[in-house]
Amino acid sequence: MDTFLAALFSGTSRGAIYALVALGLVIVWRGAGVVNFAQMGQAMFSTYIASTLIQNGNPYWVGFFVALFAGAALGALLDILVMRPLSNKKKTELLSSESMRAAIPVIASLGILGVLQALAGIIWAAEERGFPAPAAQEGFTVAGSVMPFTSFDVFVISIVLATLTMTTIFFKKTGVGLAMRATALNQEVARLSGIRTNFTRTLSWAISGAASSLAGLLITPTSNLSPNTLDLVLIIGFTAAVVGGLDSPAGAVLGGFILGLVISFVTFYLSPEDVFLSILAVLLIVLIVKPRGILGGKDSRRV
Amino acid sequence: MLTIENLTTSFGSVIALDGISMSAQESKITTVIGANGAGKSTLLRTISGLESPTSGSITWEGQSIVGRKPEDIVRAGIAHVPEGHAVISELSVEENINMGSLFRRRTHKSDVAASLEEMYQLFPRLQERRKQLAGTLSGGERQMLAISRALVSRPRLLLLDEPSLGLAPLVVEQIIDCVNTLCRSTGLTVLLVEQNANTALGVADHGVLLALGKVVADRPAAELKADSTLRAAYLGY
Amino acid sequence: MSSTAKNPSIIRRSFRRTIFFIIAILAIGSTFEPYNQAQLAVVLIYFIGVLSVTILTGISGQISLGQGALMAVGGYTTALLMTNYSISLWIAVPASIVGAGIAGALLGIAAARLSGPYLAGTTLVIALAIPTIANRFMSVFKGDEGLPVDVGYPPSWFSNFFGEPTYEEWQLYVVLPFAAIALFFASNLLLSRTGRMWKSIRDHETAAALTGVNYSRQKVYVFIIASIFAGLAGALYGLRGLVGPSVYPVALSLTLLTAAVLGGIRSIFGAFIGTVIVVFLPDWIDLVLDNFELSEQVSNFMPALISSLLLILTVVINPAGVAGGSHLHKHK
Repeated sequence: MDTFLAALFSGTSRGAIYALVALGLVIVWRGAGVVNFAQMGQAMFSTYIASTLIQNGNPYWVGFFVALFAGAALGALLDILVMRPLSNKKKTELLSSESMRAAIPVIASLGILGVLQALAGIIWAAEERGFPAPAAQEGFTVAGSVMPFTSFDVFVISIVLATLTMTTIFFKKTGVGLAMRATALNQEVARLSGIRTNFTRTLSWAISGAASSLAGLLITPTSNLSPNTLDLVLIIGFTAAVVGGLDSPAGAVLGGFILGLVISFVTFYLSPEDVFLSILAVLLIVLIVKPRGILGGKDSRRV
Repeated sequence: MLTIENLTTSFGSVIALDGISMSAQESKITTVIGANGAGKSTLLRTISGLESPTSGSITWEGQSIVGRKPEDIVRAGIAHVPEGHAVISELSVEENINMGSLFRRRTHKSDVAASLEEMYQLFPRLQERRKQLAGTLSGGERQMLAISRALVSRPRLLLLDEPSLGLAPLVVEQIIDCVNTLCRSTGLTVLLVEQNANTALGVADHGVLLALGKVVADRPAAELKADSTLRAAYLGY
Repeated sequence: MSSTAKNPSIIRRSFRRTIFFIIAILAIGSTFEPYNQAQLAVVLIYFIGVLSVTILTGISGQISLGQGALMAVGGYTTALLMTNYSISLWIAVPASIVGAGIAGALLGIAAARLSGPYLAGTTLVIALAIPTIANRFMSVFKGDEGLPVDVGYPPSWFSNFFGEPTYEEWQLYVVLPFAAIALFFASNLLLSRTGRMWKSIRDHETAAALTGVNYSRQKVYVFIIASIFAGLAGALYGLRGLVGPSVYPVALSLTLLTAAVLGGIRSIFGAFIGTVIVVFLPDWIDLVLDNFELSEQVSNFMPALISSLLLILTVVINPAGVAGGSHLHKHK
């Protein structure tokens, strides 16, 4: 029973962070039509900025908010420098094929990831460093026994649920959210409707950058920080997004919690060696049973 | 008034528009007719900024609009309803309409709400389906939706590309009637591209006949409609 | 692929290319120091792997970040045959193709339903998950320790005839025939009617389906062929000394993709150019950096920084890569 509770709690708290990563991916996918494999590279970079500020004697929250801002700025910058020139490119023979047009931003985002990781190595060296948590990481004591659930876990879960609520409202209820969805779905119709698509795309990148920086700030207290530590988080976050449905913010969060629990239970009951195979299994099962994800809706692409 | 002079648009070595000069008179319906591949759609796409011309000028209300972005041209009062009932299937009917007035939301708050209501009066079927995804609509309803999306931007010039494409005759009639009424009652200028020349010339004031990217006739619609030689040579009936 | 056989001019052209390739590699290799000969062997191995990306992504438009996992399948097949059954590498390496082909078929069946970023992400998870099997079945795959294998020593008739080669030289000679065969097949394939059909899938799935191409099945075939190339590359890559999870990291898949894109994602010539760039870039950068006083922290990350920057610049400025897109298109 103790193992079960431990797995449940640790899975929920981890799952909340994966949900945040998945949410960041969904925002750029929905807002700009790109799956951003550089996302956790951006998060790693802004977490390093926070870490440097905190090590130099600034309070935690200064580092925290500067990192969120830096994450947003970096996201916007990457869109303006790399993705916008790509999407506005004249249709050459190579780019005339739809699959290549989908593949090229993926390749570009991998290049961005490489650049960010190398730069982080150059600036901050490659060895791991710790990162502080804003709340206690000791378990609550209930009836004399220490539970595997900490104030930090509570903090993480509530921040993630708040972010999800805000994102959903933002996309569904605000004009800017509508403009972002329209841009991702059909750039031409969006532009003919007077939507400044360059701006809305950049905005998606900025919001996603801030969300993934938040994920970086929340996961590094338990995983430590190095140029590569967040690679795995990205892969898990991507799986979570696909499992929940790349088109759905709520699906991303659901997927995040599912992945968190699967990973946690596999770790506790089987062995940590089996984690990646179990992620692969979950991914393949979902893709075969429901290719658009659990909350992804029907495939409405035109034929 | 829209004036086009010597407009040429090419895609690589293919010249789609070859030195076109024409105009659209204020508060009148001008129709551009011609066979498939005559350059009709390219003409509208060049006006709305989706394609950039190789040479020539487009003047709207005294200002050149060549080289401006589509989103700025909409703001200048030109709304384009592209070919093929262009709506966003994954968005709801109401979201599709609202999309067209997003850029006026801050500056004309009350008018945006009013324009939505007007569209629902104009096309009551859209109101019934306002929460449905646009992808679930019939072809005719989608066309109505696409036109509504354009109209809520409060254009002074409406570019309509083949609204009759793939629709039943009864629906075509309804949509064309609607455009006609709008033009006559609100003074909207309309540039209507049609392959269905008979329907278009029936409602238009002025007709421009295109063939292989060139203007072959530019006359009052009634005159063009009566010219059986031209009809036989370029439209095949 | 039956069309290949019917068209002798395609075979002749591919054959000429291959002969030229062999002569060029031998000529260049003989002037190299042992270190660079070993590097050249790595170029040839990567080249085979990059060809699998060229076929999969450049020709059929499917993007895979999991070619490294298929290389691992090829590597383990070879290593198990060689260490457990003492089978000669000349038989074990070709046999690895079967293992990789089967893995590719399974992967292809799953991938046929996916496209674009979905496929990229799924193959990335596969690249991560497959090497962990080595730790799951310790007794067979020996976990992180891996299975030591190498190219061994040349047979005596070879030494008697050509003289005693250095170990690095022998590595190059072992790899070259496989690379030449891979080049020959890739060249034939891309020029053939099958290759053109795959391009039509890439250019428009819907249109390809309308012209009667069963594109899901064709996608599986493309995956199998690409996996065979990857498996062969993986087998040879392991023969450098060790087959283990650390030999086939996720980064390996990304390196192959980088090479393919830098050189030109659609061309065999581009695949080779890109491979040369990726393999020799760290050395070239070292040569340049030697003139500056840089700390190790900076110089360690310079190759990764520059190759990633090159990757971004390539897709932003000229997505067709160094070799351009025209190379294959002349033959349309």
